[in-house]
Amino acid sequence: MIFIKNYTAIEESVNSNLLIFFGLRCYNINMETIVGISTPLGKGAISIVRMTGKKALDIALKFFTSKNLNKEIVKPRYMYFGRISLEQGLEECLMVYFKAPFSFTGEDIVEFQVHGGVLLAQKVMEKCLACGAKLAEAGEFSKRAFLNGKITLDKAEAIIGEINAETEGELKSSLQITNGKLAEKVLQEQEKLKYLLAEIEVGMDYPDEVEELNLKFNVFDRLKEIQEENAKILKVSESASYLKNGIKVAIVGKTNVGKSSLMNALLGEDRAIVTDIQGTTRDSVTESFLHNGIKINLIDTAGIRQTEDVVESIGIEKSKHALNHCDIVLFVLDGSQEFLEEDKQIYKLIKEKAHIVVVNKIDKLRKLKGFENEIEVSAIESKNIERLKNCIVEKVLKEEIDFNSVVLTNERQLAILKEAQDIIAEVLSKKDETLDVLSMLIKALWQTLGKITGNTENEDIIDLIFSKFCLGK
Amino acid sequence: MKEEFFDSIVIGAGHAGCEAALALARTGNKTLLLTISLDAIGFLACNPSIGGTAKGQLVAEVDALGGEMGVVADKTAIQIRMLNKGKGPAVQSLRAQIDKNEYHSQMKKSLEDEQNLFVRQGEAISIELEGDYKKVTTHLGLVYKAKSVVFATGVYLKSEIIIGESREFVGPNGFKNSSKLSESLLDLGIKLLRFKTGTPVRLHARSVDYSVMELQEGDEDIAPFSYLTEEKVKNKSVCYLTYTTKETHEIIKNNLDKAPAISGEIKGVGPRYCPSIETKVVRFADKERHQLFLEPEALDTQELYLQGFSTSMPADIQYDMVRSVIGLQEAEIMRDAYAIEYDCIEPTQLSPTLELKNIKGLFFAGQINGTSGYEEAAAQGIVAGINASLYNQNKEQLVLKRSDGYIGVLIDDIVTKGTNEPYRMMTSRAEYRLLLRQDNADVRLTEIGRRVGLVSDVRYQRYLKKQERLKAIELQLEQKIKLDSELVDFFVTNGETAPRESLKLRDMMRRNNIDIYKISEKYDMFKNEPKDLLDVVNTKIKYEGYLKQQQEEVDRMLANEEIVIPEGFDYLSVKGIRQEAIEKLNEIKPLNLGQASRISGVSPADISVLSILIKRK
Repeated sequence: MIFIKNYTAIEESVNSNLLIFFGLRCYNINMETIVGISTPLGKGAISIVRMTGKKALDIALKFFTSKNLNKEIVKPRYMYFGRISLEQGLEECLMVYFKAPFSFTGEDIVEFQVHGGVLLAQKVMEKCLACGAKLAEAGEFSKRAFLNGKITLDKAEAIIGEINAETEGELKSSLQITNGKLAEKVLQEQEKLKYLLAEIEVGMDYPDEVEELNLKFNVFDRLKEIQEENAKILKVSESASYLKNGIKVAIVGKTNVGKSSLMNALLGEDRAIVTDIQGTTRDSVTESFLHNGIKINLIDTAGIRQTEDVVESIGIEKSKHALNHCDIVLFVLDGSQEFLEEDKQIYKLIKEKAHIVVVNKIDKLRKLKGFENEIEVSAIESKNIERLKNCIVEKVLKEEIDFNSVVLTNERQLAILKEAQDIIAEVLSKKDETLDVLSMLIKALWQTLGKITGNTENEDIIDLIFSKFCLGK
Repeated sequence: MKEEFFDSIVIGAGHAGCEAALALARTGNKTLLLTISLDAIGFLACNPSIGGTAKGQLVAEVDALGGEMGVVADKTAIQIRMLNKGKGPAVQSLRAQIDKNEYHSQMKKSLEDEQNLFVRQGEAISIELEGDYKKVTTHLGLVYKAKSVVFATGVYLKSEIIIGESREFVGPNGFKNSSKLSESLLDLGIKLLRFKTGTPVRLHARSVDYSVMELQEGDEDIAPFSYLTEEKVKNKSVCYLTYTTKETHEIIKNNLDKAPAISGEIKGVGPRYCPSIETKVVRFADKERHQLFLEPEALDTQELYLQGFSTSMPADIQYDMVRSVIGLQEAEIMRDAYAIEYDCIEPTQLSPTLELKNIKGLFFAGQINGTSGYEEAAAQGIVAGINASLYNQNKEQLVLKRSDGYIGVLIDDIVTKGTNEPYRMMTSRAEYRLLLRQDNADVRLTEIGRRVGLVSDVRYQRYLKKQERLKAIELQLEQKIKLDSELVDFFVTNGETAPRESLKLRDMMRRNNIDIYKISEKYDMFKNEPKDLLDVVNTKIKYEGYLKQQQEEVDRMLANEEIVIPEGFDYLSVKGIRQEAIEKLNEIKPLNLGQASRISGVSPADISVLSILIKRK
């Protein structure tokens, strides 16, 4: 029987590595701190973001503050109420710290409980990532619990099942994504990067092949292109969160234009049973319905159902509130009337927002002047209502989304794409660096995108080098 | 029958065999080095050069471990160049033109001078297992026995040289080949592959018109390969660059039916990075010309090596092809170009120690493992030698990791992923390239070489002294400089914005336009320090952030590398891992989770599951 010693000597860290070499290695010593959203997406009133690993508390304290919290002595198993500083500002949340080994995984754990809805949980997770945590792999929390002896042997099978199920789930979503435009774009980006890398690498590995050496395009221009494309993808993907939370629609218009009947027409047979709608807790929603699998929430423009006189009786201030909390406004006009002062007033309020001009009552004789991009409907006769629904979705989700691909992106892929953007920003700020460093960063970028597409084989780049360049003796 | 006993037997005295034999002998093993021809020891069968991108790093690493290649290369170099000077320290590599006759003689002398080493001409025709001993029989019926055997047979196994329709059953350069050993390996259940490679024509120097070619001279003041070499290499010869012409391409296109490489006559798998000229013309049809280098083979000969002109075309067509090249209208061919086919083993049968997984005590190194190149061979040779020695001593064997050096990358690649063409080292293959520089090979590997007993006292003292000097230089850079008009001036004249406060010399180096040389000049420091030491410190400080970043990646990788998969782990009966992955894992039998994760077809989820299964056992 042969034992293999693992010799290590890198840079100046020879001595510290010798310790590893001779010492016994416990499983959790070198495990990284990982983060994941541990509540099912969109299925609860709160979401839990969980970090496990040695650095969990350090990372958490970088952005969580609370009056009760003494950063030197954080009490385990104590629920701190405090705030998390995110880009958009401070968000309230609860934090609990579990000290190793008294935790689910046997490592330090920090949990954040945030208001329901995936967006906020995602932002918190991204914050953890930005502060040094790594994305948890499928089933990784349970796996660590097992490896650290917190879960007994008989559970091992279950964890294996969990890993495979989650992987399958992710695979499924990325397969679906492959059909969609987003993945196609990421693939294209990766392809561009691969060519870029091949060109840089070939110059370094075959410096004597002078004829091949001219970089065919500017590295930084290429990266900027990719950065822009990524920014677009991120924007679209963020709109994809509408898919989970629904689209919030406000219906406005002066008295008697038919807002109520339009609402009923929209709800029609698709009327959803309205109970508790997640992700919109701060907005009062009266009704919602599904259209092509996407939830559309009609938000209460200040009691639209009780009184027809929104503007008159409740006043402009209240309308403003509704307008500020919706994704899109349906501005309803009566086609059988002319455009009056009252309409004008309301139009002023909404014209800067995403909106659709809905000309109702086309069953009557039309007197209203035409509007650009208007949609003519008859709420009473349910005419053009489907078209209006499509229009709402399209306008909110932008043209770029392929409606046939059901799952567009998940929070993991979004986080990866953001990581990629960070790397690009870094490269762009390092224009004076030597090629070896640039290539290292670009390779990291390529590999990061590869976590979405699954292409991370270094051999691919080498294959490209040989297929594209004429090299050798 | 008379039998002789050794601790180890090394079969083959090429670049792998020489390093393996020296490593064994120097660590106290009575070693037999068996070679088909004493005249082929350390023979540069193809290009007369050593080093180059990634290969220069390999030579430095072999040297840092206590190997011989760098020492002999320095002694016999006739031109030296530092490649990629402008592209950053990670990819800078040394390349030397070598006097191939001298190299052979010097290497042979190194072997002969070694106390425990017995160099013997003879062809090994069989290998048999006899209890704890391995029995090697030669073609003359001599029998040698040893605890371990290192196979370093290069391209000699059942090799055939192909030139046009001619097929000769010989080894490189017409040396006798090894005709029977392949069968013996097959008998042991070892899986063989058939690869091919090739070499270009050799020309007489007097027949070349240099006036129409581009001169390529060596670089001055370049540190040599070996940490033992004290003097810089003197440039004694030059190379020339020339090009093929349209006519060359026409000749090739008109004769493709006669090209064995194209017609399918050659079945062996050739390397993509080293295509024959006919392959280049076919595959890159839009290129109007291909560059060729003329390199001297040795100082005492007129023979020139025509780099870039490897071919297996019939000899008469080679003649026409050569004479169509710029400056070669009158060229006299002295040796024909040829392709060579040979047997090698499927390298995934090896453990990362280069020991055969199924038969303990049998080690393989060099081209027999499906690699290509002298440096790749030497790198494996020294590792196989070290491990055969450790095996003889019943000690734990050495695995060099991907973060330890290019040697680690090379071996891990071939034993984990295998190769479907002769494997050549490239800097692109090393993910921790910034850490694996030529200038720090000693820091990475000399302690390891010392531990296994291969690094001599002289080498070790020199290493320690160098580290001390480097520390002293770094210490001096801790000096703080007061903020005054002079300092501001220094920054501004170097195109940097003025500093806001007093700062350490080393912190000045974080600025793009300030390096150790400017500091040395400005503050009159380090006047007696050689440039290569300053280079090391300069790189270390200037690239500190990136080095740290890569080190973090390394630490992440090492975490999985530390989780050992028990020997004999039963993959076939496990549940939860996909069938494809089970088959791969069972074939490769990785040592640890890290190696397992690099097997193609094994997913991160499979690794996750595997980690649980290991723990459960």
